[in-house]
Amino acid sequence: MTSASKIKHLYWRAGFGLSPKEWATKQNWSLNKAIEQLFTQAQDSKAITTPDFLGSRSNEQLKKLGKGELRKLKKIGQENVRDLNVAWIERMSQSKESPLLERICLFWHGHFACELKNPILAARQMNTLRQHGLGRFRDLLQAMAKDVAMIRYLNNQQNKKRKPNENFAREVMELFSIGRGHYSEKDVKEAARAFTGWSSDLRGDFVFRKQQHDFESKTFMGQKGTFNGDEIIDILLEQEATASFICRKIYSYFVNEKIDENRVRELSRDFYESDYDIGKLLRQIFYSDWFYAPQNVGTKIKSPIDLVAGIMGSLEVKFTTQKSLLFAQRALGQILFKPPNVAGWPGGKSWIDNSTLLLRLNLVAYLYRAAEVAFNDKDLEAKNPGRKMQKLEAQTNFNPLIALFDQQEEAAIFMGLKNYFLQANSKLTQTQVDAFAVKGNKEDYIKSVALQIMSLPEYQMC
Amino acid sequence: MKRRNFLKTSALASSSLLVPRFLQGNNFGKRQASRTGKILVVVQLSGGNDGLNTIVPFEDDRYFQLRPQLSIPKKEVLRVSDDLGFNPALEALRGVFEEGLMTVVNNVGYPNPDRSHFRSMDIWHTASDSQEYLSNGWIGRYLDSACGGCPPYHALEMDSALSLAMKGERHSGFAMNNPGQLKRASKNPFLESIASQSHEEENLAYLYKTMIDTQSSADYLLKKSKTHPSKVNYPQTNFAKDLKQTAELITADCDTKIYYVNLTGFDTHANQKGRQGRLLKQYAEAMKAFVKDLQQNNLLDETLIMTFSEFGRRAAQNASGGTDHGTANNVFFIGGQLQRPGFFNAGPNLGNLDKNDLRYEVDFRSIYATILDDWLEADASKILGRSFEGLKIV
Repeated sequence: MTSASKIKHLYWRAGFGLSPKEWATKQNWSLNKAIEQLFTQAQDSKAITTPDFLGSRSNEQLKKLGKGELRKLKKIGQENVRDLNVAWIERMSQSKESPLLERICLFWHGHFACELKNPILAARQMNTLRQHGLGRFRDLLQAMAKDVAMIRYLNNQQNKKRKPNENFAREVMELFSIGRGHYSEKDVKEAARAFTGWSSDLRGDFVFRKQQHDFESKTFMGQKGTFNGDEIIDILLEQEATASFICRKIYSYFVNEKIDENRVRELSRDFYESDYDIGKLLRQIFYSDWFYAPQNVGTKIKSPIDLVAGIMGSLEVKFTTQKSLLFAQRALGQILFKPPNVAGWPGGKSWIDNSTLLLRLNLVAYLYRAAEVAFNDKDLEAKNPGRKMQKLEAQTNFNPLIALFDQQEEAAIFMGLKNYFLQANSKLTQTQVDAFAVKGNKEDYIKSVALQIMSLPEYQMC
Repeated sequence: MKRRNFLKTSALASSSLLVPRFLQGNNFGKRQASRTGKILVVVQLSGGNDGLNTIVPFEDDRYFQLRPQLSIPKKEVLRVSDDLGFNPALEALRGVFEEGLMTVVNNVGYPNPDRSHFRSMDIWHTASDSQEYLSNGWIGRYLDSACGGCPPYHALEMDSALSLAMKGERHSGFAMNNPGQLKRASKNPFLESIASQSHEEENLAYLYKTMIDTQSSADYLLKKSKTHPSKVNYPQTNFAKDLKQTAELITADCDTKIYYVNLTGFDTHANQKGRQGRLLKQYAEAMKAFVKDLQQNNLLDETLIMTFSEFGRRAAQNASGGTDHGTANNVFFIGGQLQRPGFFNAGPNLGNLDKNDLRYEVDFRSIYATILDDWLEADASKILGRSFEGLKIV
């Protein structure tokens, strides 16, 4: 594999692909330089701004809000969440920003899957993921256990000494740290007691409610003590099974769904010994030879977000309405801030059925033509019955792509576009493309060939 | 179950089974297709249909106390039994019920009910426990177990997106709004020209297979949809259109065993009466036409229609003339071969609520077990992950 190909692979897995301009520069870089830049950018990246959605209203004032005011606030909140969604996918699509940070955030967003409806809580959770996403898993998990959106999503508000609610404690183990089969029902009950009183106020700040916390002794995973939530997490991280659970998930997401057990065992051991250093784990993967082995390149089905962010980056897509971008996410089956449940998006082949595949294959053409697409959404229509055509209102800009190739002959253009767009092995020949390409001038040729290549099933892979 | 109810239903059953009404009056031409094998039609009412105002316990004072404004007045209820009646908007279904072509199962739900639409719908779709997260659906798993060589449209959803219920591990159902639209969207000369290339890598091969299946299914479904145009007048609603399309495919002997149809809009937090009435009317009138269509083609005996919603609503009305998300609900079976037409069990006990919610009595997975074991001749315990006792109603 050439160094350029490796960089392209790196950028698809550690980011969301490369824009034509970035590709022009980075294909000549050393792999080393590209990896290091990803980490440097991540470090330099700023926190996202928390929307000032509640203004200066105090908890007391919020408590007294009338129904009408609440409804108004809720509406503004929804708009703010939409803004955050759009801003995030735009950041992902900009390969010159901080692709690795956005990628790891998307990974953790699927891991700590949580529906986010309140913009303040959404922004805070995003910032937690940004702050710790490449840091120590211990810090991340402990911060997420105090994350107010998560606390509310998993009913920890209702987890009180007299009447523990086990939801949060169960998911901390089953989905967030150690996985099924490594704890007992008794452990769930005892852990729930340790998280009692971890709550929030109306402004969305974490609150420790002392009188609701169970300060008594607990027995958790064979250890006895007056544990609080942080200490429960510490005990979970003492178990090597936790390192292994997280590594499997990382490997399956970044490398290959088909797990290479030996490799994951090695990674888990190092991850455990590094005291759960996520950045170090990713570096180890990106610097390995096997990450670039043929079975790991172009064999992953892009998630809808991967696909959309990638197209946005390649064609400088501007969605002229937020609705269009959200519609695309919904119709393809992945809406940011709205995972299907606490287990996150299952990924892989589950993204694909006949209707999502058809939309995927047609997506670039639809965006290019700003086409109307027939799609009815059962969830939305539950509130507002009636089927509507949805319009994908967007502008595309092929100029950066054209600039990359317009000095070349058709054969080179075809090869160049194929190489730029496709990660999977493709048997596509120039003759096949030329049968449908627009000839005459180079711009049209580049455009039409690009549109064809982006309609291939191979383009769904990264 | 109340004995009175049982007597009522068996009486109803025997009289109607002796003289099916459709044989008395209009005797239309014989079916033209030679279908063998049973068909399942699943109808999903999204948003949480208010079961208590659908099947009304009009002899229960507590019902009127819980819903001072929202209750259906006694005199308006369609009295199909001594104590349970239909919402007047279901008028069109009265005949179907009285002919013994319908079974109503009351109080269907599951332990630890979830009040989120999405979550509860997922639970219904995946047949999971309340605390369990599965990424494939009960029909999808049926396809996994039954479909070595099934066509992609073995389970067909009349919708632009495929429901989780229809997604399996290895096999999934097929979604289409209508065959014409599907054909237009899948028509792509370039992709057709390269479709036959073989691909070894598993995921890519899967994409190619799905693409090719979609192209060939579009042709097949378009052709089948034109083979046997319906002679029945359906109402002009999207739901009726979907049912009509279903009937046309069934009568054309389309190689589809399971159809999935959606009617949505039932999330009636405010001004419920008008809205639910309109939706139930749409449901009943379309269903009446559908039943008639299948009867005329002698196919109702081979068809089972099951209607469900992700949850029922609170027993009491709220302050906005509506109801909030609740728990147990009724499920309808319609078909020509029902073993226990009428009411399967008594209505909800409004004197024994669980924090203002109806208590479930029948686990929805028993409904699935009934369908899988007794209708689709599959292994329900394998598909549902454990054994649920069927209701012996089909």
